[in-house]
Amino acid sequence: MNSGIDLQGTFITSLTDLGLPPGLAKVFWMPLPMLLMIIGATVAILVSVWLERKISAAAQQRVGPEYVGPQGSLQPAMDGLKLIFKEDIIPGNADSILFTLGPILVILPVFISFLIVPFGQNLLISDVTIGVFLWIALASIQPIGLLMSGYASNNKYSLLGGLRAAAQSISYEIPLALAVLAVVLMSNSLSTIDIVQQQSGYGILGWNVWRQPVGFVIFWIAALAECERLPFDLPEAEEELVAGYQTEYSGMKFALFYMASYVNLVLSALLVVVLYLGGWESPIPVGFLADLLGVSETNSAVQVITASLGILMTMFKTYLFVFLAILLRWTTPRVRIDQLLNLGWKFLLPVALANLLITAALKLAFPFAFGG
Amino acid sequence: MMKFLKQVGDYAKETVQAAKYIGQGLSVTFDHMSRRPVTVQYPYEKLIPSERYRGRIHFEFDKCIACEVCVRVCPINLPVVDWEMNKSVKKKQLKSYSIDFGVCIFCGNCVEYCPTNCLSMTEEYELATFDRHELNYDNVALGRLPYKVTNDPMVTPLREFAYLPKGTLDPHDLPKGSQRPGRRPEEIAEELKAAAAKKEAANADAAE
Repeated sequence: MNSGIDLQGTFITSLTDLGLPPGLAKVFWMPLPMLLMIIGATVAILVSVWLERKISAAAQQRVGPEYVGPQGSLQPAMDGLKLIFKEDIIPGNADSILFTLGPILVILPVFISFLIVPFGQNLLISDVTIGVFLWIALASIQPIGLLMSGYASNNKYSLLGGLRAAAQSISYEIPLALAVLAVVLMSNSLSTIDIVQQQSGYGILGWNVWRQPVGFVIFWIAALAECERLPFDLPEAEEELVAGYQTEYSGMKFALFYMASYVNLVLSALLVVVLYLGGWESPIPVGFLADLLGVSETNSAVQVITASLGILMTMFKTYLFVFLAILLRWTTPRVRIDQLLNLGWKFLLPVALANLLITAALKLAFPFAFGG
Repeated sequence: MMKFLKQVGDYAKETVQAAKYIGQGLSVTFDHMSRRPVTVQYPYEKLIPSERYRGRIHFEFDKCIACEVCVRVCPINLPVVDWEMNKSVKKKQLKSYSIDFGVCIFCGNCVEYCPTNCLSMTEEYELATFDRHELNYDNVALGRLPYKVTNDPMVTPLREFAYLPKGTLDPHDLPKGSQRPGRRPEEIAEELKAAAAKKEAANADAAE
């Protein structure tokens, strides 16, 4: 397996050639991908907010934002600017430290989770061996932040919303983790790179979605619940709870919640793509096409094309899922809290467990197809 | 054992059914995405109100006989009719008349029952004010005629759905002279007139 472009290696060798010690060269390298990823994630927020508003408008036969920028594409940036200039209010008798800490605790784990999201063979910040597990672990910090902000707001709606958010996150994390576990079982690794590599080689036929259809559906449902997207948006159900834990927030603190929810959506979609839809792999393997055209895979031009195609493929598939989430938002009615917990504990959990056991059995029975 | 298996089977069936319904719902939403927006870009475009639009009430002072029927048929006795008896002509003389549109529900009962037709419904609906007391219209304000949407040079008037030609869904850029399906009221009136004339002629023939 050829490893494609290694930007990090090239950068570090070029710096060491200039006479820098390798350690220092690595220090110089490290902020670059992080910065790039943070910028990428922020742009992804703007794009998904714009998509959400435009697609929602289309689904309701409206026009949506159209005055700020071409087709209203600068509207989310405008909204962000507005929120920056808004007064930052801390309600009376609220716990100001917890109130400030809450949104930070909500948004930080989401951004840190981008550490493990691969866009290509070497196009990720760090190939952590515990990969997806890190994501699940980080995701469970979020409900603490939600609970914190709900509790600190000194508002009954906020408290109820925070409690609901915590209950929802905790109950959907388990089926989510079990669905991930089945994938991990097949690829023998928690690393996101290994998980994608295990799906590569056969194009669209090799993707995990064919081997894990049940896990795929469970993962998507649980991910929607984790993101508090519409069929499961009880924590901020405006008809019942005003805006849940966000009720008392305004200005930049509210913007943090808002950003966190959209980054989380994009992140979940990215992970669906990585775990089930072959990450950066194209439906038709690039290596196969290169062979067909008689070009070597180690050719630098081919490598650049492969890498950019990989990024494009990942983003395309990701936004396909963002689109699906938006469409689901206008299709499915909100579930009640008891229905939500019933679905999580009485349906998704046993099914995910059965899926895991069946995967293990299939792995023992057909090691060639299920990653022996 | 069989009972348990049956339960599992039923549960699976229900799950599949639920998934099917969600899929159907998704296809409906997806289909809606390709439809044209129904948006009317309000301050720049306005719909032409229909003939029976119940907007602000218009009042003609000189026609009013101060009978107060409008007050009696009003659900909340809203119109204020101020009159005094003119002994010399033995008639009620109207001094002032007012309706508070902040309270009016535009039911049109007063218009329907007014014996002298001094009340009528207009097509005016933009009644926003900064103070609700400004909505208490006196006989002068009630006597003003609204500005027609079709005469406003700043506004693109759009026809409502029922007034579009057959098969058209979009009120923008209609070809000139396009009409809604069916006969227009003037045509119906003309036909009725012609029919009546014919009948009369036939009657006259019979009488001879």
